[in-house]
Parts: sequence; C-alpha cells; structure tokens
Amino acid sequence: MTIHASLAGLPSAMARSELLLADAPKIKVGDHAVAHLFGMDFNVDTIVSTAVAAIIVLALAIFLRVKITSGVPNGVQLVFEFITVQARTQVESAIGMRVAPFALPLAVTLFVFILCSNWLSVLPMQYGQGEFIFPPASDVNFVYALALFVFLFYQGAGIKRRGLWGHAKQTMKGHTGWAGAILNIIEEITKPLSLSLRLFGNMFAGGVMVSVIALFPFWISWGPNAIWKLFDLFVGAMQAFIFALLTVLYFSQSMSLEHEDH
Amino acid sequence: MADPATAQIIQGALIGGGIIMAGGAIGAGIGDGLAGSALINGVTRQPEAEGRLRGNFFLTVALVEAAYFINLAFMALFVFATPGK
Repeated sequence: MTIHASLAGLPSAMARSELLLADAPKIKVGDHAVAHLFGMDFNVDTIVSTAVAAIIVLALAIFLRVKITSGVPNGVQLVFEFITVQARTQVESAIGMRVAPFALPLAVTLFVFILCSNWLSVLPMQYGQGEFIFPPASDVNFVYALALFVFLFYQGAGIKRRGLWGHAKQTMKGHTGWAGAILNIIEEITKPLSLSLRLFGNMFAGGVMVSVIALFPFWISWGPNAIWKLFDLFVGAMQAFIFALLTVLYFSQSMSLEHEDH
Repeated sequence: MADPATAQIIQGALIGGGIIMAGGAIGAGIGDGLAGSALINGVTRQPEAEGRLRGNFFLTVALVEAAYFINLAFMALFVFATPGK
C-alpha cells in the first residue's frame, strides 16, 4: 500500500489518489465551519451562501421594481416576465389562478432563489480544501427548511380550502379511493422528503464530483472541471425548475375539491 | 489500517458504494433511454410537436437523474465518510 508520491505523471497521480481515497480522506463530506451559539450548531458557511443568494435575489427584484416599464423592457424584466408567464401557465393548468393566486409568487420566488443558490457554485473561489461560496443546497439543513416551509404551506392551504376533516379525508382518499389510504399516507410523507433530498442529492453530488476532479493534477483537472461545471449549471437550473413545478403540483393536489368546476 | 475491524468496515463500505453506483447508473441509463425513445417516437409521428415534447423530456430526465444523484450522495457518504468506523 505504500506508493511513493514522488513521481510525476498521471499513473502515479491516480495511484496517489487511490491511496488517499482509501487512507486519509481528502474528500470531506459534510464538513462545515460550525459556530456554536445558545447550545445549537450553526453551519456558518451555509448561512453565508444562503445570505448571498438571498441578497442577489432581492437586489434583482428591487432593480426590477424600480426599472419596471410597459415600454421596451430591459433584460431583467424580460427574464422575470418569461418566468412569471411560464409559472402562471403552470398554476392555471394545475389549480387555477382564482383558487390559489399565492402559488404564483411562491413558485417564481422558489425558482429564482434556488437557481441563484445553485449557480453560486460556478464562482471559482476555492481555498484550502473547501469552497468559499458553495451551493447551500449541498447542506441538508437548507433543503429541509425549504421543503418544510412548502409542506406546511400546502397543508395549510388545503386545510383552509377543505376544512380540517375534509382535508384529512380527501388526502387519504386521494385518487384511489379508500382502498389506497395507506399508500396515500405514505405518499404524503414521502412528498416533502423526496422534494428535499432530490435537490440535496443533485447539488451535493456536484460538490463531490468537484472534489474528486480536484484530485487530478492541475494540468489535467481543468478539462473535466469545465465540463462538469457546465453540466452542474444545467442540473442546477433543472432542479430549481422541478422544485417550483412540484410545489405548484402539490398545491393543486392538496387544494382540489372532489367536485370541481375548473 | 492495522485494525481488522476498521478494515472490515471500510471493505464493506467500499463494496456497498460500488453496488449503489451500479444500481444508480443502470437505473438512470434505462430511465433516460426510455424517455429519449419516447421523445424520438413522438417526433417521428408528429414532427411539429417537438417543442412541447422536449419540455416533458427534460422534466423526465431531471426526475430520473434525481434518483441517480441521491444514489451518488449516499455513495459519497458511505465511501468518504464511512459511518460507524
């Protein structure tokens, strides 16, 4: 197992990385800069990344509001208009804008916020063994918080529309009737779980791949790194879109009445 | 690495990681392939529906890849941060 790392060249680099993978892990999983306050642990780097993403989204939104015009729109307004129109089409086809008008700003905000937070990973700021700004979705706390918020929101909306007992009854009936009540209850539990873990898995895997690619010597790793970053951009955008789309769909499932005039 | 108990745990973790990746890759490959074949069939029958079909295709691909990436995350947990070591 003692492979001397003094040789240059690719084969020994691979051998060196194999030795390192098996021995002292150069890839740290789940390491965060932690602050201990009031008896709780705060992952400081996740909080910093989330704050940066939130500031970007707020700055874009304020810029949009200040410069909004019904004449020739600028770039920011065009992008937001496109996103809003797509989201409105989705909400309209799922539950209807009259029934759930709050679903539209929620979907647009979720999409833009998750997109910004996923695309933060493109900034090439790395120091030591970690990235300075990393996608906060690679920390479970962030995705759990988002999924919990969405879960509480759509359960609350369902209860408000159908009444407490009506909501529980129709959730258990679902599309299958009383025969599939157990399955529907399991589905209700897995909905927020899958929503959160899907986003987490995608972003976390991106971070792991970057760490693995960084094990190559630098004169090789730029190629796979560039390709992987491009794919990561695409994956981040798709996952943001899916999160927003599934949120709208969960709202429609939770708020649909049995006899509906659409 | 002289402790046989740790060596066994690492051995099991690496094998488990390999199985996780194998299952994930096979599943993702088959899933993406089915989605792609449905897209190609649809475009063959009706070439002007390509735009609408492509949107659904990317949606399905993202959902399939989500399962794969969850597998990747668990593989990373097992291989790089082996629990119970």
